Amino acid sequence: MSKSFKEAFQEFWRLNVSKVGVAFLTILVILSIYVIATYPLDFGVRYWNNPAYWADYPKSAPPSWINYFSHEKIPEHHVFSSDKPSNASITESGKRLIYLFKLDFQADRTPTFLSLTIKNVTYYDKPVMIRLNVTRPDGKNIELYGYTVPAPYGDESPPYRRFYDQPKRISLTGDMSVASTLARFLLREYNVTVKPSEVNSIGQHTVIFSVPENNTRFNVLKGDYIFYIMVDTYDQRDSIGEVKLVVGGDVYGFMGTDSLGRDLSVGLLFGFPIALFIGIVTSTITTLLGAGLGIVGGYIGGKLDEVIQRTADFVNNIPLLPLLIFLAFILGQNIWIIVLLLVVFGWPTLTIIVRSMVLQLKSGQFIEAAIAIGAPRWWIMFRHIFPQVAPFVFAQLIFFTPTFILLEAALSFLGLGDPTMPTWGQILEYGFRSGGIYVGLWWWIIPPGLLIIWTAITFVLVALGMEPVVNPRLRRMK
Amino acid sequence: MVLLELNHLRLYYKTVRGIVRAVDDVDLNVESGEAVGVVGESGCGKTSMANAIIKMLPSNVALYDGRIILDGLNIVDLPEDEVRRKVRWRQISIVFQGAMNVLNPVIRVGHQVAEPLIIHAEMDRDEAYKIARERMKLVGLHEEVFNRYPHELSGGMKQRVVIAMALVMNPKIVILDEPTSALDVSIQAQIMNLLKKLKRELNISMIFITHDIALASDISDKIAVMYAGQIVEIGAAEQVLLSPKHPYTQKLLKATPRLSGEEKPEFIPGTPPDLVNPPNGCRFHPRCSYVMDVCRERGPGRFEPEKGRRVMCWLYGGENE
Amino acid sequence: MGLTRTLSMRALTLFAVLILVVFFIVIILGATGTSDKILQAMVNEEVMMLRQFLAKTIKDPQELEKVIDVRRHELMEFYGLTKPWYVRLPDMAWRVLTLDLGKARTLKTFAGGNKVSDIVIERLANTLILVTSATVISAIIGLVLGVRIATRVGGILDRISSYLSAISYAIPTWWIGIILILVFAFLLRIFPFGGLYSTPPPSDFYMRLLDILWHAVLPVATLVIASVGVWIYTTRTIVLNTAQEDFVNAARAKGLPEELVRRRYIMRVAAPPILTNVILGLATSISGAILTETVFNWPGLGRLFYDAVLVMDEVVVIALTYIFTLVYVVARFLLEVLYVILDPRVRY
Repeated sequence: MSKSFKEAFQEFWRLNVSKVGVAFLTILVILSIYVIATYPLDFGVRYWNNPAYWADYPKSAPPSWINYFSHEKIPEHHVFSSDKPSNASITESGKRLIYLFKLDFQADRTPTFLSLTIKNVTYYDKPVMIRLNVTRPDGKNIELYGYTVPAPYGDESPPYRRFYDQPKRISLTGDMSVASTLARFLLREYNVTVKPSEVNSIGQHTVIFSVPENNTRFNVLKGDYIFYIMVDTYDQRDSIGEVKLVVGGDVYGFMGTDSLGRDLSVGLLFGFPIALFIGIVTSTITTLLGAGLGIVGGYIGGKLDEVIQRTADFVNNIPLLPLLIFLAFILGQNIWIIVLLLVVFGWPTLTIIVRSMVLQLKSGQFIEAAIAIGAPRWWIMFRHIFPQVAPFVFAQLIFFTPTFILLEAALSFLGLGDPTMPTWGQILEYGFRSGGIYVGLWWWIIPPGLLIIWTAITFVLVALGMEPVVNPRLRRMK
Repeated sequence: MVLLELNHLRLYYKTVRGIVRAVDDVDLNVESGEAVGVVGESGCGKTSMANAIIKMLPSNVALYDGRIILDGLNIVDLPEDEVRRKVRWRQISIVFQGAMNVLNPVIRVGHQVAEPLIIHAEMDRDEAYKIARERMKLVGLHEEVFNRYPHELSGGMKQRVVIAMALVMNPKIVILDEPTSALDVSIQAQIMNLLKKLKRELNISMIFITHDIALASDISDKIAVMYAGQIVEIGAAEQVLLSPKHPYTQKLLKATPRLSGEEKPEFIPGTPPDLVNPPNGCRFHPRCSYVMDVCRERGPGRFEPEKGRRVMCWLYGGENE
Repeated sequence: MGLTRTLSMRALTLFAVLILVVFFIVIILGATGTSDKILQAMVNEEVMMLRQFLAKTIKDPQELEKVIDVRRHELMEFYGLTKPWYVRLPDMAWRVLTLDLGKARTLKTFAGGNKVSDIVIERLANTLILVTSATVISAIIGLVLGVRIATRVGGILDRISSYLSAISYAIPTWWIGIILILVFAFLLRIFPFGGLYSTPPPSDFYMRLLDILWHAVLPVATLVIASVGVWIYTTRTIVLNTAQEDFVNAARAKGLPEELVRRRYIMRVAAPPILTNVILGLATSISGAILTETVFNWPGLGRLFYDAVLVMDEVVVIALTYIFTLVYVVARFLLEVLYVILDPRVRY
C-alpha cells in the first residue's frame, strides 16, 4: 500500500502543474497560520465591522505606492502620537504640557482631514484644557481649537477620569468653530472674505494647508508645519495619556482603504484562513458524505440504495443557485449554515459516481473471497472497497474545494454572507454596493477577486496534477 | 510462396522509465495459405509486432525499422497514406484482442462490416451491403444480425462480426490477436472451428497470436515462440509441440495442464523480463535451467538444428556457426 | 415498450421533483415563521398609515381604535393571516403549480402592475437574450477549440488551454463582470455601465435594438469568458476519451481515412455527452445568470429573484423558484430524450 502511494506521489510530482500547485498551497497555508496566530478570532466583529475603529483612516484611499507612478504627489497619511509631552512649563495656575508635532508637507494636494484624539485624562481640581495651534511654513500662526474636558458631574468625586474607555476624537474637519476661526484668519492675513460655512465646505484641512488665491481658489502650501498641542493641568496629579494628531492623507498602506477607511491589506489577509477553511471543510464533509453514501448504497443495494439514489437524483434536479440564495436568506447568515447548505447540495454528484464504481468492484473476486472468509459488511466496505475508490475520492475533494470557495464568495457578494467574518466576497460586496466600480476604486475591486482566483487555481492545479495518477488512461500519453 | 517477410523488424517505444524494446530484431515469414501461431506470455511483444506489421504506430515510437516485405513493397518505408490505402484491410486485416470494444457503438454492425468496401473499393452501398451479408453468413451469423447494434450482440456474435469484417475485402493475410481470450470455452471452440473452416475454404494466411500454445497448435502450420521481443524458436507446429528445443518452449509446454496423466503443471520460475533493461546475453538466462556461462555474456545467434527449425539458444550452436 | 416506459418514469420523477421543491419552499417559508412575519409587517405598516390618516378625522380615541381594529382584521383576512401557514401557503403552492401565479405583494412590473405572470414574462425575454447568446457563443468556441485540441494532445495549444480552462473554472463570473465594467465602462468608456437600455431609450425600433445589443455586450462577454474555459476542457476531455477507445484504433486499422474516423468514430460517439453538456449548460445558466444580472443591473429573471428574496415578496419567490425548477427539470427531460435518440446503447 505504501509503495503504491510512493509511486503515485512520484507520478504526481513529475508534472509542473503539481509543483506549482503545491507551492501555492504552501504559501496559502503559511499565510493562514500567520493570520490565525496574530489576529484575534473576533477580528470581524471587534474591528472590521466597527467604523469607529477606522475613523482616523483616509476613506477610499488608493495604496501608498501609487505615488511612485503618479505625476502629482498625493498627500500621504500621517499619524502623530505621543504619550509624553515634548515640553512642560509651569504656568501661574498649574502645569502646561506641550506636545510638538512637525510635518514636512510636500504633496501637491492638501490633506483630506485633520483630527485630534486624546485618551486617559485624569484631573483632580479644575478640568484639563487642551489647545491646538499650528505654525505654517509661511510663518503664520493659527490658534485652531480649544477644548475643555467635561466638568465633574453632580455626584462625582475626584479623581475625575475622562476618556479611558472611549478616546475623545475631535475632528477639525467639519467643526464650525474652527471654520469661523479660519474665516477670520483668511480675512486678517490675506484680506479674503470667505464665510465660515464656505470654509466648512472647502474643508478646514484645505484652508489650513494652503494659501488663498482668491476667495474660492486655494493653492497648497508646502513646507514645515509645526503643530502645538497645549494641555493645561491645574493639579500636579493631573495626567493625560496619549495625544494623537492625524493629518489625513489620500493614500494609505499596501492595499489602500475602502469607503469606510478600513485598511484593505488587513481585511484581505484575514480572508486567507477563512477561504481555506470554507473550501476545505465543506469539501471534506461533502466528499466523505457523498462517497460514504455511494459506497453504502452501491454495496448494500436494495431498498437503501434505492432511497439514496432517489434522494441524490432529487437534489441533482434542483437548480442550485436560486435555492441556495433562498435558504441562505431565510435561515440566516451564519458561516456554519452556509457550510451546511453547500454540503446538502454538493453530496449527490459524488455519490452517483462512487456508487457506479462500487457496483463494478462488488463483483470482484477479492470481494468474493472476503465474503467467503466471513467478513462483515462494514469491514468489507471499509477495508476493501474504500481503498479502491479512495484515490478518486481524494482527487475529487481537491477538485471540489474551489467550487465551494467560489460559491461562498458568490453568496457573500449578494450580501448573504456571514457578516462577522470579512471574506473576500464580502469586501467585494461592499465595494460593489457602495458604487466603487462606478468611480474606479480599482484597488478595492481587483485584489479580492485576484485572491479568490489564486486560491481556487491553487486547488485546480493540484487536482490537475493528480489527474494522471487517478485516471491511469491519461498516463499512457508519454 | 512467401507472402509476407519480416526482416530484422524492430519497434521501440519511449516511456517514462526508458526505451521499451517491444519488438527486437524479429525475422518471420508467412507463406500463402499458412497459419503461423505466435505464442508468448503477455508483454512479450506479440501485439506490438502485429501493430508493427500494419504500421499502426503509437505516438511515442522511438524506433521503427527493418523490413516488412509484402507484394514487393517494404511497409516500413511506405508513407502512411499509402499504407492506409493499399495495405490495410486490402492486403492485411486484423482481428483485435477483446472484441468487446472494437465496434463503433452507435453504428449498425452490418454497415461496419461493409464500410471498408464503401471506402476502399468505392462500391456503392447496396453492393457493399450484399457482400457484407454474404460474409456474415459465411461466419455463421443470422441474417437479422446485420441491422443490430454491437451492444445487442453476445461476445461470440461480436467476434464473428469482427471476423466477417476482417474478411470482407479478401485480404491475403489476417492477423488474429487473441481472438478468443475474451470468450468462454464453448464459444472459443466454435470460433476456432470457424477459423479452421475459413482457412480451408478461402485459403487465407493467418498470423494467430495467443498466449495459449495449445490453442495455437489447433490451427497453426508453423509456430513461433516469442520471448522478450524476440522469436526464440520457430518451426513446424507438430515439431515444436512434440520436441520443443528452446528451454522456454519446453517450460511453456510443461506449464500446460493435461487432461490425462499424472503430471502436474510446472510453473516457470522468475519474472517476465523487463523490456527496458533486458538481461544481458540471452534474455531467458535468469530463468533457464540449462544456463551456461556464455548465455550470461552474449545473446545467442539463430541456429538451425534441423531443416525448417530455428532456435535462439546456445545449446544448439557454437560461437562460430 | 421499454423505451416509453423508461421515459415516462423519468418524466414522473422530474415532475415529483417539481412538486417537492415548491412544497419545500413553502414549508420553509411557513415553518420558520418568515411568511407570518412578513405579512404581519405589511399589515402593521398599513395599519400605521391608516392610523395617521384617520387620526385627523376621528377624534375620539375609542372610536379610532374600533375602526382600526376592524380594518386590521380585514387586512389579516385579506393576507390570509387568520389561517395558519400550513393552510394558507399550500393553497398558494397548488395554484402556482398550475401556473396561476397570482399577484405580487411588493414587486411591480415596469408599468406598475402587480400580476406575477406579467412581471415574469417581461423579464424572461431579457434573461433569454443574455443566456442563449452566451451559451451559443461559448458552445461554438468550446466545440471548435476542444476538438482541435483533442486531436493534438500534448501540444502547446493543449497546454495553454488546460491552464486557461483551469483559470476559467476558478474565476467568479460576477467578478469578471465587475472588471469588465471597470475597464470598458469606467476607463475606456466604450460600453455602458449596465441596464437594459439607455435613458431615455431611443424611439426608433432599430436604434432601440442596437441600444439593447450595445448594453448586452459586456454581460454576454462576462458569461462567455467565465464558461468558455470549461467548455473547451470538457469537450476536449470527452473527445479525447472517445478517441482513445478501442474502436477508434480499430477503425484506423481498417484503413479508414482520418477524416472519416474523426467524424463517425470520434465525434458521432462523443456527440451525446457533449450535447448533454450544452443543454445542461443552458438550463443552469438561466438560474446562474442571477449574479451577472445583479452586477449589470440587467432586468431579467435572475435579478427579479434576487430582488424578491431581498424584500421577501413570497409570492414572487415561490413563483420564480417554480419557474426555475420547471425550466431545469424540462431541460433535463429533453436531455434524456435526446440521449436516447443519439445513443442506441441507452435504449434498453
